Amino acid sequence: MIGIVSYGAYIPKYRIKPSQIAQTWGKEVKEIEKSLGVYEKAVASYDEDAITLSIEAANRAISTGGIDPTQIGGITIGSESHPYAVKPSSTVVAEILGMGNDYLAADLEFACKAGTAGIQLLSGLISQGKTKLVLAIGSDVAQSKPADVLEYTASSAAAAFVLGKANTIANIIDFTSYSSDTPDFWRKDSEKFPSHAGRFTGSPAYFSHVLGASEKMLKQVKMKPQDFDYVVFHMPNAKFPKEAAKKLGFSPKQLIPGFVVEYIGNPYSASSMIGLAATLDVAKAGDKIFMCSYGSGAGSDAFVFEVTPEIKTHQKRNTETVAKQIRNKSYIDYSLIAKNILTKYKI
Amino acid sequence: MKIRVAGTGLTKFGELWNKDLLDLALDASNQAINESRLTKNDIDGVFVANMLHGKLTGQDHLGALVASSLGIKGASFRIEGACASGGMAVHLAIQSLLAGTYQNVLVVGAEKMTDATSSQITSALMGAGGEEERRAGLTFPALYALMAKMHMQKYGTTRKHMALVSVKNHYHASMNEKAQFPFEVTMEKVLESPVISSPFTLFDASPITDGAGAIVLSTDNGQPGVFITGSGVATDTVDLASRKSLTEIVATKEASGKALKQAGVEIKDIKVAEVHDCFTIAEILAMEDLGFCKKGEGGEFVQKGHTRLGGNIPVNTSGGLKACGHPVAATGVKQIIEVTHQLQKRAGKRQVQGANIGLTHNVGGSGATVVVHILQT
Amino acid sequence: MSSPVQIWRLHKNLHNYLNKVGRLVVWTKIFVAPEGFEHQTPYLVGIMQFDNQRLPLQIVNCEEKDLKVNMKVITVIRKIGKAKSEDVIEYGLKVKPL
Repeated sequence: MIGIVSYGAYIPKYRIKPSQIAQTWGKEVKEIEKSLGVYEKAVASYDEDAITLSIEAANRAISTGGIDPTQIGGITIGSESHPYAVKPSSTVVAEILGMGNDYLAADLEFACKAGTAGIQLLSGLISQGKTKLVLAIGSDVAQSKPADVLEYTASSAAAAFVLGKANTIANIIDFTSYSSDTPDFWRKDSEKFPSHAGRFTGSPAYFSHVLGASEKMLKQVKMKPQDFDYVVFHMPNAKFPKEAAKKLGFSPKQLIPGFVVEYIGNPYSASSMIGLAATLDVAKAGDKIFMCSYGSGAGSDAFVFEVTPEIKTHQKRNTETVAKQIRNKSYIDYSLIAKNILTKYKI
Repeated sequence: MKIRVAGTGLTKFGELWNKDLLDLALDASNQAINESRLTKNDIDGVFVANMLHGKLTGQDHLGALVASSLGIKGASFRIEGACASGGMAVHLAIQSLLAGTYQNVLVVGAEKMTDATSSQITSALMGAGGEEERRAGLTFPALYALMAKMHMQKYGTTRKHMALVSVKNHYHASMNEKAQFPFEVTMEKVLESPVISSPFTLFDASPITDGAGAIVLSTDNGQPGVFITGSGVATDTVDLASRKSLTEIVATKEASGKALKQAGVEIKDIKVAEVHDCFTIAEILAMEDLGFCKKGEGGEFVQKGHTRLGGNIPVNTSGGLKACGHPVAATGVKQIIEVTHQLQKRAGKRQVQGANIGLTHNVGGSGATVVVHILQT
Repeated sequence: MSSPVQIWRLHKNLHNYLNKVGRLVVWTKIFVAPEGFEHQTPYLVGIMQFDNQRLPLQIVNCEEKDLKVNMKVITVIRKIGKAKSEDVIEYGLKVKPL
């Protein structure tokens, strides 16, 4: 069975609260965290980008799993903030990790589901027998237009999953995907910041695809929401994933370990993958995990995982759990964010 | 060894907006040649010391440029050893005389720094350090700040000790009309100036300066005068992290050992010295590494007033790099000129009574190159 | 900063320095930066002692008050300096407190 052999997550330690952002722009500050359901978000430093975040997460996956990087035969990095428009992030990361030269690399873009698309695509290399190990990364230093409502939640993080056939800690029972051409959130190459279509991002976008993929997945594996121990959805805010869970018949309890958005915000391509990592941090052998990501544009990747007894080894060796990184924080004010914007756009 | 300092020439040091590098080099050179009573045709070789000009303006080939502009057709060379370029050029010029190849040579150190921005200069100066240091954003003040902090941790040297160097050198500069900052400063001013790299403030650091210094050196002709009797150069790693010690500049000890031996004198015989105070801590280190005092006691040595005019061993009567200014490659030559004038009793208000043996100490980078000269009457 | 070819050579070597733990020997806080580092001020730089060598490296992810002589630090990969528009981005070593 193909499955997850190891994983790593990296959440930058700086945090800023939505109320501080609102205050910067002279907007209404009262109760804003409560109405968003997001109390603070993770902010990357001026010398971090999607590549450095990927290196941290992947390095942790490789260290915790005791993996020889030269044995990894495929790598994808899904991101909306690849540092280059032309020049793959994945080879920069592969070189620095010491992966050698014998691997397939490709950068993926599909808004917030570029990372999970990598999991589905790379698993094909393994089932074809092309290689024994692959590395799928979701990493973003999420961009949003300053003073736009997205700024309250757009954050930074990365998660890396090593997949293989042997010694898996969680097997991929099955996966599926649901896609359409839906212009809910986009950024043309020449533009600095993304645009979005307001309330259109809800029902016809997020919900249509998440529900579409999830219902299809459940049918495919002939399982019901109650058969699962945990569920993880892409978390653009605190409301959508809770509503999706409810509509599909999952209980609020199943969401808990993977519900990271409240304290780290929405790190785009890393969102559902960090949720999965957080869930695996506490899961037990035999647990069944349902995951459905969402990427604007639009599409959803759904997965069914079953945790194996090997999970214990990973949990013992993992020194950087998601919960620990959420706790390990340092508050900043808007000045770091302003510096990052000026640095990035060379103002 | 007895090399005659036949002539000296020094421009004002400061922000000299109307002069370019060639103007400065020619001004100092002509003064030196005139003082030597030699003619242009007598000068066999021109040694031009400069660190930054190529990087900042694109103009290389300074040996030929300066020599030909002076109307000198002999041999010409450009020498670079970071901030020790000046001293290094003097050393090489001496070797050419000792070899018998040349009889009269001109050494001119010149630097034009104020045409560039402060940020460009900070970056350009980092060329004196190592690649890893540049990648870490370690500026020159930062490198010496690291040495200062180690010295403070190991020997209890304080910011006040370091500030005293600045105060003393400004006092000396107040009597030097060629100095960039010919005025005194208080301890408070030094301690409370903006921090550039902790613990250094603006007043712990030498400034950005334009200027040139030139000397004419000749073989001994039996006439009385001032002679360079010792010239030693030593080398250490370019980058600070690779050094054996972060609290001593070993190359100083080695270079001065060679120079003192060549001159046949000991450090206690030295009556006046010009040392490399690119940052206040550097002068404290120099006191220790040259052997004027024991390792770790440099701060106290300065505090006791031994190195102030009137003390046992006045150091940096020109005002040093801090207050006279530091046009990088000109400094090493200026140091020779200041000690020469002291030995010739033409230092005016800054005259050290009875000075007959002097020492100059010129450092490149954070201690990778050190050049020490001994001068005697 | 460095040329694409220099960066290529430098990146090849980086994997040898991943996860290296060292000790902080001495540091300084820089307020006046050279070109390419202006956006980072003030920043912390110091000398770290690793098993067989000492390296000058920037210290990230902390405030000056968190630093103590001899504390343990670990290497991280971050962007070096600030790439100009046409430049290749340079990644390199820095350290953070362990």
